[in-house]
Amino acid sequence: MKKVIVGNHAVSLGVKLARCEVISAYPITPQTQVVEMLSEMCASGELNARYIKVESEHSAMAACVGASAAGVRAFTASSSHGLVYMHEMLHWAAGGRLPIVMANVNRALGPGWNIWVDQSDSLSQRDTGWIQLYCETNQEVLDTTIQAFRLAEAVDLPVMVVLDAFYLSHTAEPVDIPDQALVDEFLPQRNATHKLDTADPHAFGALVRPEDYTEMRHDQQLAMARAMTAFDAIEQDWARLTGRSWPALEAYHADDADLLLLTSGTITSTARDVIDERRAAGDRIGLLKMKMFRPFPTAALRTALRGVRRVAVLDRNVSPGHGGIFAEEIRSALYDMPLDDRPMLFGYVLGLGGRDVTPAVINDIIDSTRTAVSPEREDLWVGVKS
Amino acid sequence: MSEPAVTHDSPPRISVSSTSTLANRTGSWKYIRPRYQDGVAPCNARCPTGVDVEGYMNLLREGRIADALDLVLRENPMPAITGRVCHHPCELACNRAQYDDPVAVHLVEREMGDRVLSMPPPVLRRTHTEKVAVVGSGPAGLACAYHLARLGYGVTVFEEAAKAGGMLRQGIPDYRLPRDILDRQIRWFSDAGIEFRCNTRIAGEYADKLLRDYAAVFVATGAHRSRPLGVTGEDSPRVMAGLDFLKAVNRGEAPEIGRRVVVVGGGNTAIDCARTALRLGATPVVLYRRTRQEMPAIAAEVDEAMREGIAFEFLAAPRAVHHLQGRQAGVECERMVLGEPDASGRRRPVPSNAGTFSILAETVLTAIGEEPGLEALPLHAAAPDQALIDELGATPAAGIWAGGDAAGIERTVSDALGSGKVAAIGIDRAIRTRNGEEVPPNDIAELRWSGGNISMSRWRGDDPVQRHGATNEVVGFDRLNTAHFVHVTRQREARDADHVTVEPVGTAFERATDGTAFDFGEVNPGLTAMQALEEARRCLNCGVCNQCELCLILCPDVAITRQEGGTGFDIDLNYCKGCGVCAMECPRGAIVMTREGL
Repeated sequence: MKKVIVGNHAVSLGVKLARCEVISAYPITPQTQVVEMLSEMCASGELNARYIKVESEHSAMAACVGASAAGVRAFTASSSHGLVYMHEMLHWAAGGRLPIVMANVNRALGPGWNIWVDQSDSLSQRDTGWIQLYCETNQEVLDTTIQAFRLAEAVDLPVMVVLDAFYLSHTAEPVDIPDQALVDEFLPQRNATHKLDTADPHAFGALVRPEDYTEMRHDQQLAMARAMTAFDAIEQDWARLTGRSWPALEAYHADDADLLLLTSGTITSTARDVIDERRAAGDRIGLLKMKMFRPFPTAALRTALRGVRRVAVLDRNVSPGHGGIFAEEIRSALYDMPLDDRPMLFGYVLGLGGRDVTPAVINDIIDSTRTAVSPEREDLWVGVKS
Repeated sequence: MSEPAVTHDSPPRISVSSTSTLANRTGSWKYIRPRYQDGVAPCNARCPTGVDVEGYMNLLREGRIADALDLVLRENPMPAITGRVCHHPCELACNRAQYDDPVAVHLVEREMGDRVLSMPPPVLRRTHTEKVAVVGSGPAGLACAYHLARLGYGVTVFEEAAKAGGMLRQGIPDYRLPRDILDRQIRWFSDAGIEFRCNTRIAGEYADKLLRDYAAVFVATGAHRSRPLGVTGEDSPRVMAGLDFLKAVNRGEAPEIGRRVVVVGGGNTAIDCARTALRLGATPVVLYRRTRQEMPAIAAEVDEAMREGIAFEFLAAPRAVHHLQGRQAGVECERMVLGEPDASGRRRPVPSNAGTFSILAETVLTAIGEEPGLEALPLHAAAPDQALIDELGATPAAGIWAGGDAAGIERTVSDALGSGKVAAIGIDRAIRTRNGEEVPPNDIAELRWSGGNISMSRWRGDDPVQRHGATNEVVGFDRLNTAHFVHVTRQREARDADHVTVEPVGTAFERATDGTAFDFGEVNPGLTAMQALEEARRCLNCGVCNQCELCLILCPDVAITRQEGGTGFDIDLNYCKGCGVCAMECPRGAIVMTREGL
């Protein structure tokens, strides 16, 4: 059934359809609507789940860790300062191999205090061991939320579903809401291998000696590798059931392109319009949309970029002292390619703290990428006022 | 299921102990321990009838209405009546008063009482050959008869008047207790197997004779004689005992009282007289020698009388009644001031130097107290002004028990009901002891709700409410954890069954200001069934575990578990570290920390 809903409610409906059993969260702009709607569902009985109120995001994730360890489906949502406040518990969730799902609404970090879109919050959690999936539309948000539970439970890793502040979280779009029966077919009940059971208590997360710690981490790494394969298979299954597909790396008019834009989040939609216009004028330009950031789709990227002359990476984030984070990671993924196959990479930093990325901005980037002999620097900052 | 199946090639490597952590007995760390123990809610301790108020509120909260009715009827056979006329001290004691409003216990009880009357009474099976005679069919007699019948005895109730009910029928006006409710309640007792013999007066010698046919006699003949004012002119035909006036009106023989009526007194009889006179078209004024604060009448009744426009003349005492021409009298009054406290703890009224003033009246109704009727008792069973009874209602005369207004209790319907119940227990114990049966121990304090009235369930040992490590102490407001409560205002009485209102009770006064006359229709409309259930949910269950599970959820050591097959929880002291979180968080004070046993 189609409904016009905001991205935050797309998350809530996805969580409901996934028959999540424990939700623990702390409100933060622009995420709050997600858990408000879920709390109403819990109160009305529409969703048979325990809603645990907490005094901080750290506790919210701790509650999810406990619930997930006990074998039930757990969910939280956060954003910006809330997410970074969880940082320690994100490691506990991933290291404990707990298939928790979280929605993070990308929002800038202060100071200056800023509630608008920026990817620095989720990307600063890059190394916590969470799978990260970036969404472009509200339909993708809802679908990905449901898929995230299946992916998490397939490989015993937590999944972060990421959506842009306001452009998705508070913007209403038509969304096709799948039937519960379809979701039940796609997502069976969770079957945990280890359960925290008060009748047969064991200590979880206890001391591990140097002799064994490496193997635990290596097992996590193998699970990340499996997640890549599992994601594609889950994706295909979803496409079979709904006709919709949201691949880890999506190519748009990329086959004959000599220049590819590389985007994530809602900038992708703006870039698609620019490409449509330029294609109509005979311009051979295309786009790669990166949905999956962890595990990093190295092999898919190499294949997609083989033989492309130039690639412009649009980063709505920055790692101070280095550059745009997507650009840095893609550079490192391409390092082992033969020089003749490797594109010249331009890393643009733009749209921070919610600054608009308009078609004009993207057109300028295309023009300067085309005309430059080579990138002046690793980090090309767009529209910085003097 | 399609590929990939959500299964695991191998379980993930996580840090989890290979052995059970049960080996780690963290209980050895503690120096104090929690004790899970139910206490007594203040409403229970203050109920003159000894009803488990908290218990039935909890059952209503759980939606177990039949069980709630059963719990009430174990102690009080007439909730439809007490819900209307009791002065409900439970609500004065209610801890919730210190949080927002006390629970409207009487309104919930009334709604339940109406349910009781709409259902067939319980079948009270005879299990004893003995019969007991009850003299007087007021609330004390009815309660004693009912409880004895429930205990398996045959019971005959003797009543001097033509219809049973005692002061309920003769003294309490219709607008407080509709006749229909009383009639149905009496029929309920008859249907339950209690025999009534009306128009039968019992005097002392005859009471002794009753002991030939009955194993015991319970005398509850009430207090029906108005005390005289002791002033000159009192024998004027314009002066009438207030109680006689009420009885006449209740018989349907309302006397001519004229327009100006003076009522002397400050108790419930005085208020009943004034409001009844108002309904007969008079303009009453109440004379009371003390102030509003010292009035023994139920405060809500005084409020309603004032709202109905009845005038009160405080600090005024009649000194003489002068016969004037025609049907008029002049009541000469003296202004009083309050002096030192007397034996009752209230400040004694003493004459001021302000002289006297007069009030013109067609009728003077006296309501300064009633003397008990003790004719049914042998001489040595009574002092001049009351029957002599022990803790279980026994008089010094063998085989004779007494209760109610005649026995010097607080003169309220509920206290009478309580005294009838206590005597039933006394009679049951005496008969079973005589028969050589084992009876529960003599420690009456154990049977009481923390110093309050006796619980019949405790006497019978069949309390349906499971109590956990129970103590007999009242749990006060300071023992509650209000962090877990939500403010909810008290339910107001509705106008009618479908109309739920949050207006304060208006009723008769509103009818009067509407320009319509007062009538004898019931003043207070009560609650709808839904409202009554809502109100029951406001009960905090002070001192008694209601299985909210907070302790179980919050115990950091998972040392609290649900009892197998029980209603409560077990605390595993092998693992409890004595942190005190459970006792601190329990909303009801049903867990205490103690050093005992360590």
